[in-house]
Amino acid sequence: MLTSPNLTYQLLAPILIILGGALIGVAVEAFVRKGLRARVQLTVALLAVIAAFVQLIRIRDQRSTSAAIASFSFDGATVFMQGAILVLAFFALLLISDRGNFVAQASAIPGSEDEQISISSGKSQTEVFPLTLFAISGMMLFPAATDLITLFVALEVLSLPLYLMAGLSRRRRLLSQEAALKYFLLGAYSSAFFLFGSAFLYGYSGSLSLNGIADAIAGNSGNDIFLLIGTIFLMVGLLFKIGAVPFHSWTPDVYQGAPTPITGFMAACTKIAALGAMLRIFYVALAGDQIQWRPIVTVISIVTMLVGAIAAISQRDVKRTLAFSSIAHAGFLLTGIVALNQSGLKASLFYLVAYGFATLGAFAIVTLVRDSSGEVTDMNRWVGLGKKSPLIAGAFCLFLLSFGGIPLTSGFIAKFSIFTAAYESGNISVVVFGVLTSAIALFFYLRVIVMLFFTEPKSDVVTVSVPSPQVSFVVAASVIVTIVLGVYPSLLLNSAQSFASFLR
Amino acid sequence: MSLVTILELVPLIGAGLLFALPKGNTKLIKQSAFALSLATLIVSLLIAYRFKTNVSGMQFVESHSWISNFGIRYAVGIDGMALVLILLTTILTPIVLLAGWNEAETGRWSVRTFYVLMLILESSMIGVFAATDVFLFYVIFEAMLIPVYLLIGGYGRGERSAAAMKFLLYSLLGGLLMLAAVIGIYIISTNQIGGTFDTAKLATLQIDSGTEDFLFLGFFIAFAIKAPLWPFHTWLPGAAKSATPATSVLLLGVLDKVGTYGMIRFCITLFPHATKTFTPVIIVLSLISILYGAFLAIGQRDINGLIAFTSISHFGFIVLGIFALTSQGLSGATLYMVNHGFSTAALFLVAGWMVARRDSSQIADFGGLQRVTPVMAWSFFIAGMSALALPGISSFVSEFLVLVGTFTKYPVAAIVGTTGIVLAALYVLITVQRSLHGPTTAGNENLTDLNLREKIAIAPVIAILVVMGFFPKPVLHWINPSSAATMQAAGVSDPLPKAGK
Amino acid sequence: MTTRNDLVYLIALPLFSSAFLLLLGKVANKWGHLFATLVSASTFGIGLYEFVAMHSRAGVARAATQKIFEWISVGTFKVDASLLLDQLSICFVLLITGVGTLIHIYSIAYMSHDKDRRRFFAYLNLFIAAMLLLVLGDSYLNLYVGWEGVGLASYLLIGFWNERPAYATAAKKAFVANRVGDIGLSLAIMIAFTQFGSVTFAGVKAGAPHASPAALTAMGAMLLLAAAGKSAQFPLQSWLGDAMAGPTPVSALIHAATMVTAGVYLITRSNFIFDASSTARLLVVIVGAITLLFGAIVGTAKDDIKKALAASTMSQIGYMILATGLGPIGYAFAIMHLLTHGFFKASMFLGAGSVMHGMNDEVNMRRYGGLGKVMPITAITFGLGYLAIIGVPPFAGFYSKDKIIETAFNAGGTRGIVLGGAALLGAAITAFYMTRVVVLTFSGEKRWDDQAHPHESPSLMWIPMVILSIGSVASGFLLSYGSALVHWLAPVVNSTNAEGGKELMRPIVVSALALGVVILGIFTAIVKYNKIVPVEAPQGSSLTRFARRDLGQDDFNHHVLVLPGQAITKGLVAMDFSFIDGVVRAVGWVLTYFSHSLKKVQNGYVRSYALLMTAGAIALLATIWLVTL
Repeated sequence: MLTSPNLTYQLLAPILIILGGALIGVAVEAFVRKGLRARVQLTVALLAVIAAFVQLIRIRDQRSTSAAIASFSFDGATVFMQGAILVLAFFALLLISDRGNFVAQASAIPGSEDEQISISSGKSQTEVFPLTLFAISGMMLFPAATDLITLFVALEVLSLPLYLMAGLSRRRRLLSQEAALKYFLLGAYSSAFFLFGSAFLYGYSGSLSLNGIADAIAGNSGNDIFLLIGTIFLMVGLLFKIGAVPFHSWTPDVYQGAPTPITGFMAACTKIAALGAMLRIFYVALAGDQIQWRPIVTVISIVTMLVGAIAAISQRDVKRTLAFSSIAHAGFLLTGIVALNQSGLKASLFYLVAYGFATLGAFAIVTLVRDSSGEVTDMNRWVGLGKKSPLIAGAFCLFLLSFGGIPLTSGFIAKFSIFTAAYESGNISVVVFGVLTSAIALFFYLRVIVMLFFTEPKSDVVTVSVPSPQVSFVVAASVIVTIVLGVYPSLLLNSAQSFASFLR
Repeated sequence: MSLVTILELVPLIGAGLLFALPKGNTKLIKQSAFALSLATLIVSLLIAYRFKTNVSGMQFVESHSWISNFGIRYAVGIDGMALVLILLTTILTPIVLLAGWNEAETGRWSVRTFYVLMLILESSMIGVFAATDVFLFYVIFEAMLIPVYLLIGGYGRGERSAAAMKFLLYSLLGGLLMLAAVIGIYIISTNQIGGTFDTAKLATLQIDSGTEDFLFLGFFIAFAIKAPLWPFHTWLPGAAKSATPATSVLLLGVLDKVGTYGMIRFCITLFPHATKTFTPVIIVLSLISILYGAFLAIGQRDINGLIAFTSISHFGFIVLGIFALTSQGLSGATLYMVNHGFSTAALFLVAGWMVARRDSSQIADFGGLQRVTPVMAWSFFIAGMSALALPGISSFVSEFLVLVGTFTKYPVAAIVGTTGIVLAALYVLITVQRSLHGPTTAGNENLTDLNLREKIAIAPVIAILVVMGFFPKPVLHWINPSSAATMQAAGVSDPLPKAGK
Repeated sequence: MTTRNDLVYLIALPLFSSAFLLLLGKVANKWGHLFATLVSASTFGIGLYEFVAMHSRAGVARAATQKIFEWISVGTFKVDASLLLDQLSICFVLLITGVGTLIHIYSIAYMSHDKDRRRFFAYLNLFIAAMLLLVLGDSYLNLYVGWEGVGLASYLLIGFWNERPAYATAAKKAFVANRVGDIGLSLAIMIAFTQFGSVTFAGVKAGAPHASPAALTAMGAMLLLAAAGKSAQFPLQSWLGDAMAGPTPVSALIHAATMVTAGVYLITRSNFIFDASSTARLLVVIVGAITLLFGAIVGTAKDDIKKALAASTMSQIGYMILATGLGPIGYAFAIMHLLTHGFFKASMFLGAGSVMHGMNDEVNMRRYGGLGKVMPITAITFGLGYLAIIGVPPFAGFYSKDKIIETAFNAGGTRGIVLGGAALLGAAITAFYMTRVVVLTFSGEKRWDDQAHPHESPSLMWIPMVILSIGSVASGFLLSYGSALVHWLAPVVNSTNAEGGKELMRPIVVSALALGVVILGIFTAIVKYNKIVPVEAPQGSSLTRFARRDLGQDDFNHHVLVLPGQAITKGLVAMDFSFIDGVVRAVGWVLTYFSHSLKKVQNGYVRSYALLMTAGAIALLATIWLVTL
């Protein structure tokens, strides 16, 4: 005899609002005429995000583990991460809304008649907005979910739209579609791992909920082998999403192929969602088993830092460079999991926001550097950009310095706090490697700066297109956040502090 | 608000004001920048005037919470050592601005940017010496690299961007090692007295020896790179060759002193036991620096490279004095920092004028300048005399204090160090002979002597070099209490005379 | 001990006049030399006044001090800039200012054609100031300042015509050689502070009795090293010959009469150290004996008149150093010889200058000859100086030098015989080479070419020469009459209560011996040189050639110090680039290499990516498996 589940809609509201917005978006696709669509879609999406955020603010102090039976925990971490995702998504949407990044008609075969027609007829892609909203909803659910099934659903909800969106680039479509396909295949593969892991954990604990697993570990009942395999496979699925070595290979190709605004969106928001979920799983479910997974995560985090930083040195493409830098940062973020303490959680939260803004800003600038045939991501052609448009180049340098963790930028505080947490937990090795890797990373960040400012520009002209209002707004916002969080980080640290808690 | 904070703000706000000025009006920009640096100087003199020599500990202290989550505070305060180094900064800045009046013209970027960077740099140098919160110190320590980097890479000569890059990476690497140590000591403080970065409080921690060594090294390597100690020196010559004279003066004259300052302020004060452990190694390194720097100075063909290597030799003396851990050694080393600042300033400025006139930095291209440009030649000669620590010129007092302070504890080290004075005579006199003496080399016949502006710029430096040679008393009276405090923190005292009377 | 407040003027006057002349520049060209001379003369006046004042004070009250200001004070290391004028230093004050003034006067004429005359006089006064500080400082550190100050002045004056590379090199050489000595002085001061907690003469003297012999010997050795550097003693003697590059008045004042004798002053001043350490004394006499022979031998071979005189200076100072190593009485005789030498050597140098003045700066004696007729005054004054230096009674040198030879013999045992013998031999050689100089220069037939028109120098030049030659006649007798100087110095070096070691032979015998060898030397020289002298130097015996090359001192330095030094420099420069900086660059290369090899993994094929993921997963499993098993 089934009883209908009782849901605390108030706490689920933020997610539901986004989903609602997405559905409206689909309707808009169907009923609004082409001319208006883009504008309407954007409005709907932004409104949805704002509404969701407002609702989130109103309920920020409520706590519940039973908002949706036992599969959704509305706790401090959830609030903070959902809020962060919404804010960053808001700016990402503004980037996406900037015309000319997306294919006119996804269905048209690259280089075909149809494409010519679709381009000449001034069509423009608008499905991307509802897709983004779906992805956002998934991202919001992922770090809040407290049972493996919900986690998996959320994972898929956030992934599938991204697979599509990666393929929507207006220019170099083949590359873009290839990226989408790779992302999809490998994503599916990793999901399989995730699912397999879940099964093993269920086998171990007889429960799908994180608490259940935690209790099982505490009670030390069940088959340890299952626990190990389950943990590892679950880990693989999650590490894939945050792009940790050796599950990172997709990152450069997808970052490069996907339309730049989408890349920014993925880099900023997916990291939050995936790492949030990972934090929850390891802090809540598997904390009792740390003796076994902690060394592994430590190693992975170190390897990830190193590979990311070293591989980036020889990159010649801006987007690939940023991809590898994001890999390195995944490594730094993993130290937050290694820390396994409250300050580790706090630091991770701060780090995610700081990094998210810098990343969005950086990719926003990438969309601006163009020549006749669109975006120019070949770094050799960025040479001397500092002369042509010092402001844009300066902003880009600021983001790079923040990635590099130079004091008075948000990146420095982020690194400082996450290393502090790791050191506090006694994992000094990871701190030492962390600082050394930061030095290596600085090497290539500075190389880019040298190219921008200290090298005489070549003949071929790369223009910085006049940024549209929304893009310049995004860049400006990112700059301000990067500096403010660098100079007066307490603004965010305090809330990170107060929200850094998991309910179980 | 403490005067020290005001002192930091004057050039910083000034830098902001420069942005308000029209980019084109370089004359106005230069004049206002110079005026601002003079204003800063006046404030610093006021501080020196109000500074009490009889009280020990920090003065002009100010402390506000900055990043409460980590107990980080904006905490400043100065003792004698900080005071003299700040005065060094505020005196040299207007001088180099005046001396390098036309330096910025040839840069990549606008003249305005140059002066903005200069003032930011001055502000941060003051801040780094005034900071009493380790985190604050670290932040400025790292952040101040950026203006220097831009000044070298943007306004330098030759391989400027490569040199600037090397300088920055080298310093940042050191900084990151230090960051690990900063975090470490912070964690220890959280476990013992509640998280703080207050230098005084951190000095009270009980640290197990293994950790202490580890933390000590984190700090020390950073400082050894900054105050180039063999073998961490290779970034310096390149930077010195590429940077403009003004930048070189501030870089070698003041900025690098942060390294030796940090050794006293942090390495010794926070980690007395580790200090004892590593003293032998460090003394050996400093001796190597003394002789190595001197030999390479002799081997230099580029005049700026020469000055760079003489500095490496002199930094060797400073480090030797510091880790001899006697009051003579410490006070001598601190005084040495000041004297070396002025001495290098004189060398770099005059060398800069010579290079600018001859359009070559090869020593071989000069010659017979004493007959052509007597004033310039004399200025260079006096600067050289201070570099070889001629008695009667300031450097002698500090160098002798360092050596005598070392001798009381480590005679052998002092003897080795003393041989350095012969090498010093060689590298100075060889250069003097090649550039000032002999028949005037072709192409130098019509070189112009120093103009009024340049004379006004160099005169105070030379005056200070000479006056402080005979009258170091006031400066020593500022320094001595700090040295005593350091000795106390390190838990050591001067050895007594062997033959009682 | 009396305190006075006017000693400082002795130094202040010349110092500021020098700075004044240098800063004023061309404006002062017209009257600069007169001003400088006036200052120097007035300094001499003050010196005389101080002397009279001191003489009028009773025994202990004679020494006077003045504290000028607190110089350095760190912990227990306290040094005041303060002066000490006692019986020893007053001798020097009078010598320096007196001879100095005469040489000022002389230079007015000698340098009249030089466009930089003002600068020359500024340097001279700088030297006077530094030299006075050297002898007036009441602590080793103050002395050090004067010590390096005279070094600087000497450097500037040797290199006065530094547009000629050889002269510039000579100046540099002098400075560097002195710096080697300065190592000794620095270390001596450090030892003093470490041992006695004080660097004042009084403090060290008070502590000396309590110090360990090792420490005293070490300090003595270091002081000796310093003295060797400044006084051109073996093994640091090589610079003095080249120092003759400076204008002749400089050679007379700095490199004959005053500065080069600073070493003797240092040792005499530190008598309490040497009295306490016989080992140190032994080192001193060895150095002295070697140098006095060394200089004498070199002197026999030089054709350059100034170099010959320089060699003799070196040798004469050797005598003084030897004396200082012979115990309390020796100090007094050393100072006596120092003073007399100041007179006769200065007068001879000025004579040499006057000859060069007449011979268009020709210095090669083989191109002189018969000048006695054309420049009688020069010849006579020089002659008197000559008689004085070879020690013919009753001229000054006789009194001072014989006393030293005598004391050397009385040193006792073999040491006495060796030292005395050396001193005696030196006297003979001195007689030989000085006679050679006189003969070659003033007698014989003229060997100068027709461009030269030798003539007697102007009165401004010969008057000082005359005065000095009077000194070189009378000073010896005056100083030793009733052993005046010995008693005068007694409070400082307690020369009177010297242990009367049994005399080896009676003084008269020693004097007779000395006189004998001197006459022998004179005769050999006359026989050898009072005939046709080839203008071109004959090849000569291997010993002669060796002596011409300063007994290989420069070759030695070149091969043992210079070449290795250059090699080290080259090596280090190479190593700095290739190794130390190489390591830094290597790090960059390695990283880039890895980076490129990582690119290969990033080949773009989904299959290999998937494979990598699988491999990763398995690896994780494997590791955790191993960990848990």
